[in-house]
Amino acid sequence: MVKSKRKPLNEIMGSIQAYSRIFNIGCGGCASVCLAGGQREVNALNSEITAELKSQGLHKQIDGYTIERQCNNQFFQGLDEIVQKYDCLLSMACGAGVQFLAERFPTKPVFPALNTISIGIDRDIGLYEERCRACGECVLGYTGGICPVTRCAKSLFNGPCGGTNKGKCEISSEIPCAWQEIYVRLKDQNRLNDIRKIRPVMLWQNQVQRMTVQESYRQRYAQS
Amino acid sequence: MENLNNVEQTIAVQSQDTCQLLNTFKDKMTLSLKVCAHCTLCAESCFMFMKNNKDPHYMPSYKFINSIGVIYKKKGNLKRNDLEKMKDIVWKHCVLCTRCYCPIGIDIPSMISTARSYCRAQGVYPEFDEIY
Repeated sequence: MVKSKRKPLNEIMGSIQAYSRIFNIGCGGCASVCLAGGQREVNALNSEITAELKSQGLHKQIDGYTIERQCNNQFFQGLDEIVQKYDCLLSMACGAGVQFLAERFPTKPVFPALNTISIGIDRDIGLYEERCRACGECVLGYTGGICPVTRCAKSLFNGPCGGTNKGKCEISSEIPCAWQEIYVRLKDQNRLNDIRKIRPVMLWQNQVQRMTVQESYRQRYAQS
Repeated sequence: MENLNNVEQTIAVQSQDTCQLLNTFKDKMTLSLKVCAHCTLCAESCFMFMKNNKDPHYMPSYKFINSIGVIYKKKGNLKRNDLEKMKDIVWKHCVLCTRCYCPIGIDIPSMISTARSYCRAQGVYPEFDEIY
């Protein structure tokens, strides 16, 4: 899932300082599951903002609400009327959610309260590890399920490079060499042939905005 | 619906806006509840129902009748226990994949999401660090 982390309070305070009625909108999807932007975090942030304002001798109206997913238009229903009562919106969703909220309410300033970090896995409570950079060209099939884009400092498709050193990366002795791990795993599976052939360089499709259309829906969206 | 907010006093309500939001859905929700023919055709479109040995508790119609249906039927006169039970129905038994199908056209996901909104407004929602 998408992993996010809350922005520092100072940054959030800075973005809302010009507004007196603030509506903080949480997301019940990924942001909620990674403990960054669900109902509990909305309540916590609102309390922190209120306390900070009080310490500065200021008063603003700040209310909170959480919708199921800020990346799906279906769940915005009912917000239209409420949003009009506020000067600005704070979004506790990932970058996609913030943009969709801003698109839905183009006359309202929308500010992110989270930094979107990665697509990752849950190691433990509140401990997440990046595992995918959505490069659009998955090579996990021949790298033994270890992503060279995410795990290798150079995101090499044909590794390791000359910087590998006793299983560690040249940029830090703390960082494992992804290609060493790929080699070991494939060797254990007797699949070293998978990395003997040269793979073409990545096209870096994630450098431009992408639109995903599932094959079964291609005809439906063909005209638009 | 004036009493929608009458959950036990110990339960915090976040703001009046959240209850107003529920009131704005009143017509749509009550109509949907009224027209449900209990045909059970929604059941097999739900993967949770299919994966749980067709347990009727996972039927989409069961889920919305026993969540948002109860909220409107009881006009908000609910106890915290009712909401805790509802929490399981609308979060544990439904992932809001929005794939449920109703031949009459009932918007089941919006009913579940409205029930979730109501629960949240009363301070009842899943704690995602509890599952470990």
